[in-house]
Amino acid sequence: MDRTDTLPPDIELARLLQRCAASDTAAFRSLYDKTSPILFARLLRMLRRRSVAEEVLQDVFVRIWQRASQFEAHRGHALAWMVTIARYCAIDLMRRERMTLVSDDAIAEIPDETAQDATGFEKPDNFDHCIGKLNDNTRKCLTLAFVEGRSHDEIARLTTNPLGSVKSWIRRGLLSLKECLSTARQTT
Amino acid sequence: MKSANRELVDRLAAEYVLGTLRYRARRRFERWLLSPQVGAIVKAWEERLAGLEPNLTPVDPPAEVWRGIENKLELRKIRRRPVTRWMAIAASLLFFVAVGVFFTRPVAPPITGTSLLAADAQTIYWRVEVLGDREELTVHVQNVYDLPQGKAHELWALPEGGAPVSLGLMPHMGDRRVVLTAAQRTALANSKQIAVSLEPEGGSPTGAPTGPVLLVAPLAKA
Repeated sequence: MDRTDTLPPDIELARLLQRCAASDTAAFRSLYDKTSPILFARLLRMLRRRSVAEEVLQDVFVRIWQRASQFEAHRGHALAWMVTIARYCAIDLMRRERMTLVSDDAIAEIPDETAQDATGFEKPDNFDHCIGKLNDNTRKCLTLAFVEGRSHDEIARLTTNPLGSVKSWIRRGLLSLKECLSTARQTT
Repeated sequence: MKSANRELVDRLAAEYVLGTLRYRARRRFERWLLSPQVGAIVKAWEERLAGLEPNLTPVDPPAEVWRGIENKLELRKIRRRPVTRWMAIAASLLFFVAVGVFFTRPVAPPITGTSLLAADAQTIYWRVEVLGDREELTVHVQNVYDLPQGKAHELWALPEGGAPVSLGLMPHMGDRRVVLTAAQRTALANSKQIAVSLEPEGGSPTGAPTGPVLLVAPLAKA
């Protein structure tokens, strides 16, 4: 594998995706080598079971290959596009199977968050300001849902809050975030 | 879009991207994703919530994962391999002399056949297109066919006088491109109809349809 510790610039991944769209299998292998460790870590974080994450990772790359022609380089970032496919594959499985948290020994495998910005995801302008304005409960709910793929029921159980509160915090939190980000965009 | 609808779509789009819709609501919402307006709303939410994306320490997956992907996509059978520039020139000169036809072949093969898998004229679930000399299929989701938990929809060629041959699993959103094997191409060449059956997740374990046949449709020349 030719993975280096830092990912290549997004533009290189976008070029590889374009070559995948033209059925270039060598480009696909290169894309896999460069991005599979990031996507695998992301899937482990959500699915927690290694064997399941390995299976879903296969489906993710099958989709990436099949949908490479739909990636629009001018409209988005290649890695973000691939991570979104991975998140949706994991969420589909978790919702379909109603997968819940597993025992603690399996959780030991969850990849750590690093201070180092290895992946370079682009945050919208003023994101930190806007997420900081939400109350702690709301922020916790949104993070559990987005980062770990937890359902409303699971979040209620994990945070020992009533389901109704969790649902309304999430709904209102999303609205506040949208409003704050659009205001921030207009004033900058 | 009416403003009340827009609000509902926006709320559902946000929870679709966040991941908190239940399975059936997720599938139903994906039906709306065919609309470019809804697609744009989802994309806006994907960009907003990307700020929550964690920076994780990468973890190398085991080598079996790549082998699995190679097998699923039959990558070794794909002939259009990348070539370096000088090789391309050399090869093109050679082929130009040997098989002039090669050059006239467009990069994306043309659509040569279509089939609409539908319950009735109003309810088309999938549109299947055959590309080129049956080298590839594209499957487009028109309407989402309900899928019970732990099940999958599988597409079959129904060759005359022979057993059904699997053409792979059906997508539930967007479209899917399938590169066909020689056996699948032969089966399709002898088929006037294709069908979708309900199978266990991952597809029929036996290689033949095991569940009920849900839809059968004629295969028409384009």
